[in-house]
Amino acid sequence: MKYLDARSGTTSIGLGFGPIVPEFLATSPDLLDYVEIPFEQLIHSPEVAEIQNSIPVILHCASMSVAGFVPPDEATLKSIEIEARRTKTPWIGEHLAFISADPLQADEETAGSPTTLTYTLCPQLSEETVEQVACNLEKLKSRFSVPVILENSPQYFDVPGSTMPMTDFIRAVAERCDVGLLLDLTHFLISMINTSREAVKEIDRLPLEHLVEIHISGLSIQSGIAWDDHATPATEPVFDLLRRVLQRARPRAVTLEYNWSPSFPHSTLRKHVERVHEMVGN
Amino acid sequence: MIARRVHAAIAAGLKDPHLLLRWQRQPKLLRDCGLDPKTIDLAALLKFAGLTTKVRHNGLRADIPSTFRFLSITGLEIEVFSAYATFHAGKSLAPTVQARSAELLLFLEQWLDFEKREHALLYDLMRHELALAQLRKLETSTPDLSSVVGQPRASSRPKVHGDIILHEMRSDPRVVQTLLSQKNPRLEEAPSGTFYFCYWRQKAEDIYVLELDALGFYLVSNIDGKRTAAELSSSLCGNRRTPKALLQSLAELAAVGIVVLG
Repeated sequence: MKYLDARSGTTSIGLGFGPIVPEFLATSPDLLDYVEIPFEQLIHSPEVAEIQNSIPVILHCASMSVAGFVPPDEATLKSIEIEARRTKTPWIGEHLAFISADPLQADEETAGSPTTLTYTLCPQLSEETVEQVACNLEKLKSRFSVPVILENSPQYFDVPGSTMPMTDFIRAVAERCDVGLLLDLTHFLISMINTSREAVKEIDRLPLEHLVEIHISGLSIQSGIAWDDHATPATEPVFDLLRRVLQRARPRAVTLEYNWSPSFPHSTLRKHVERVHEMVGN
Repeated sequence: MIARRVHAAIAAGLKDPHLLLRWQRQPKLLRDCGLDPKTIDLAALLKFAGLTTKVRHNGLRADIPSTFRFLSITGLEIEVFSAYATFHAGKSLAPTVQARSAELLLFLEQWLDFEKREHALLYDLMRHELALAQLRKLETSTPDLSSVVGQPRASSRPKVHGDIILHEMRSDPRVVQTLLSQKNPRLEEAPSGTFYFCYWRQKAEDIYVLELDALGFYLVSNIDGKRTAAELSSSLCGNRRTPKALLQSLAELAAVGIVVLG
């Protein structure tokens, strides 16, 4: 088993686990420092864990609903704990989002059980949610031997009752909770496009002293909205944001999330990994 | 607005996009959930349901990569999967990739407007890729069938040799695939018309895409190993005598190897 030495003082470069990773790893083993695997994938396909025989793993997660009002069940948290210990991940990246919510109406059929989705949702951007995140994180921090860091959500629509823009929300959470930041630059750019804000100006307002890890991926604009797209490579504006962030902070890891398509071109992947290595000065 | 109630409404609407449609028709229902209808963009939520549905179908990309590229290039991805999210609401994902593909195709057959060129191209491209994927995955191996050497006669009893899938199309998806391999595909260059394709696997490693003429296509469609050429002729053309063209077509199919003459 291989483990990531996240104290080395350099920026590690890795890939989000996906169908092209095993082959790319076999052909370009020296380009990657780690693979990031979602906890949910490890549970669903335990054989994926075998990759740690050849490369360290960072644990990602979308199950803790840290910005939600319905807590995850005990069994899920226990499983995350087990995976965190087994992988010796340096931290657990979790979405600043929710996956479960109260039932809309308790009826006989649902017996008042929560509505749980299989994907994360951007929460209401408000003081109320910031306080809820703080409360949820406080409980989570004590359970794990490694820090939980939070990844900004992509904002596709205005969440009713929001009182602050995404940048202020991220800042408020980071400061209120003293939590590490997993800055997904593509999510950030998407949020800025969809809320008509200038990404390069807004990114300068982020609390980068909390920065731990960066994610990059592609995005597409369809039906009038910018969307996350892990089947396409990061665009120049994403690299522009990366350059801007690197002028102010040194992340401990940068993960390229090109994990939706088995036909993602290896040549593009190699070029982008090399480009990120160069940008972080490895 | 109380965050807890807002989250509850959004999650419920995404879990069942029919609810989003109902709220669009009757905004008052949103007030009952504690939300001001003016503050929520239901159309954007429906599109977001499309994104999540698309992501849940990433497993199909290995079989239909060009179809996904086509959807992306034409900007149809969100529109298609948003409609599919509503269509598929309340059902769980089919257990296999093949079954999920079949469900998606079934939806497209009902939803696409074939008067729209892009829709027609999409339907053909997906059927093309699925036919190839289906033949690739077949486990059965085709036994070698002995063929009567010589010209087909009215009494010949033709049989299909191997596994076939037949599709009548409005475009040639092979041309569309070639165009999609370019950086900036010019899909308008794909010719329209009526195309008859036979996807044929004779051996596990040999899969062919044969473009047939109308007669060949309907002939292969009707060959069942039981009827003679004369009977096929009667069924297809209503002729008492087996026309030369039909026998010629059978001869060509036999020469390729897709048909054996019993």
